[in-house]
Amino acid sequence: MSIQGLVDARLVLVTGKGGTGKSSVAAALGRLSAERGRRTVVVEIDVMQTSMPGLLGRTPEYAPRPVAPHLDVCNVTWAHALEEWLEQAIPVQRVVKLILRNRLVELFLDATPGVREIVILSRVATLCERYDQVVVDLPASGHAIALLQVPWVADDLLHDGPIHQRAGELIALLGRPDTRPCVVVLPEELVVNETLELCEGLARVAPVLAPPVLLLNQAAAPSLAEDERVLLERIAAVVDPASAAGELAAAGRWEADLERATAQALERLSTLGRPVVQFPRLGALGGFQGGPEAVVRQLARALARELAIPTGGEP
Amino acid sequence: MTGADLLLDHKLVICVGSGGVGKTSVAAALGLQAALAGRKVLVLTIDPARRLANSLGLPRFGNEAVRIEVPDCPGELWAMMLDPAHTIRDLIGRVSPDAATAERILGNRIFLAIADSIAGSQDYMATEKLYDVVSSGTWDLVVLDTPPVKNALDFLDAPGRLARFTDQQIMKWFLAPYEKERGFGRLLLGTSALVFKLLGYIFGHAFLDELSEFFQAFRGLYDGFRQRSEAVIAMFRHRGTAFVVVCAPTSASVETARFFLGELRGRGMPCAGVIANLRHRVGPFEPDPEALLGALARGLGQDLAPHTAETLLARLGAADRRLRELAALEERRLTQVQQAMGGGQRFWSAPRLEGEVHDLPTLRRLGEHLRSA
Repeated sequence: MSIQGLVDARLVLVTGKGGTGKSSVAAALGRLSAERGRRTVVVEIDVMQTSMPGLLGRTPEYAPRPVAPHLDVCNVTWAHALEEWLEQAIPVQRVVKLILRNRLVELFLDATPGVREIVILSRVATLCERYDQVVVDLPASGHAIALLQVPWVADDLLHDGPIHQRAGELIALLGRPDTRPCVVVLPEELVVNETLELCEGLARVAPVLAPPVLLLNQAAAPSLAEDERVLLERIAAVVDPASAAGELAAAGRWEADLERATAQALERLSTLGRPVVQFPRLGALGGFQGGPEAVVRQLARALARELAIPTGGEP
Repeated sequence: MTGADLLLDHKLVICVGSGGVGKTSVAAALGLQAALAGRKVLVLTIDPARRLANSLGLPRFGNEAVRIEVPDCPGELWAMMLDPAHTIRDLIGRVSPDAATAERILGNRIFLAIADSIAGSQDYMATEKLYDVVSSGTWDLVVLDTPPVKNALDFLDAPGRLARFTDQQIMKWFLAPYEKERGFGRLLLGTSALVFKLLGYIFGHAFLDELSEFFQAFRGLYDGFRQRSEAVIAMFRHRGTAFVVVCAPTSASVETARFFLGELRGRGMPCAGVIANLRHRVGPFEPDPEALLGALARGLGQDLAPHTAETLLARLGAADRRLRELAALEERRLTQVQQAMGGGQRFWSAPRLEGEVHDLPTLRRLGEHLRSA
């Protein structure tokens, strides 16, 4: 049910340990949503190095730009978000210009704790009003937590004014039933450790947030029969690892390891009591050919299959 | 430069790169190699996820250096994990002119918000601790494991957000209307008056009052901050410092490595080269499973289900082909990284080791690969 919630959500917040494929998953979720005919935007948060040109075929700008039918991409840069936020908060245009021209004021706003985060999240909230689904590629684990807790910090520090008000609105947005955090995880022990800590951290700093949907990327489905595994271990024990035969055995153990690690990850993640969506690993999806954009399409297909939902997109 | 030179000729080695490339394991392996070569080494992590502790097989450790027992090691291996909240309190204590000022700052709610919960201040605190540790002279070599790339740049952008926040100019400007002797309002003419009215509207006057109190307490500290940050930058550029870019042969990581090489060059930071970790290795020829293992597999599998040998051999052939395809792709990606490297920079690589790297023997094997590569 919560997986279905992910595709029907208004706001999807994607995070996870660095290197787990967060951005690819965010792009794939966006693609899937768009293929179902929902107006969708994939959002990067003030990144210096964008992943989206490779994943969605376009360098994101502040203003959302189309990459496919119903699918846009954008990058919420701080300077633009500040300008937009000031325009919303202060009705007089002339005054906004005056403020933005004053470098000290800009420095002050940038440096004052929480303002940057509120302004950036505020832009995300604005996008939520304009799209059926907003998929945010959040920063990695600890930094995502730091970002998401700012509305509570601001709500506590400020007693009135538009930031205080916006903080309250953001808390309400994060607590909506159609807001879904989504944590991407790999079948590796250290990644699972960090994911368990991340889920605990999210629940602590943003208690209104729904429990995250877990996406296990590069999952290796069990393929080796128990007897095959036994035989492989026997062979590996007697062949010279440096020989061609040893190499074959090593290739077999490489896949067996991936399968074992996937099973272990699923078991440990099950302690969270959350459903885990599995994305098959690349090699199993038909080879390593094609660039990142092809991978995103494959991920979107795999997700559609997992959810048993029809899509209108190309194969 | 060989792997040994990197570890013997420097006082500080900073590992940078995206997440998931085994950066922490590489940092720990480099530290271990240096300790085995007789140096007294500290591996420092600023990673909130305690990956280094994981890699070293320790439950967890804190702001104090912990000695890692390494059998038959002529040097010493120590590890430390930065606790930002702890460090920031130390720092305020050190740069405050007196205990009362320090108390006032440490009790201010705005300060507490910066110290504990605002993104970016952790990175700044990391450079603070790093400076302390390197300049203490306790260690022959410090190996730093930085957070993943998008934020590792914040960490290079010292003095960082906290120091920007306490920028003298901003403070003077902001505090002007609060100066008692001048009287509130007299200086507020034209733009300033309007801007202050607006800030009051945006933040609420209660917050501005609190902020002014914070600034007033902080005012004397700015020079201390600036001097520290200049010293930190000088430390980064020093001859005894080497940055190494750690990457994995995935497309995202390779992109990040190229980006990082450019950024370090642009900032004038000394970069020794790239460590490509987690490579899949294959031999030169595609093996024939039946010819190589057919008889052996049937012999070893007599007690198992019928046809187990046949189905396993078919799987081994398929696994080998997938592995070859992957290794070839990785090779192409790493060539792109090498093309982005400058003159004098080195390229090291290490294979993906079976299982996960989090005990000393495995770290040792990883380090040996790096040294010999």
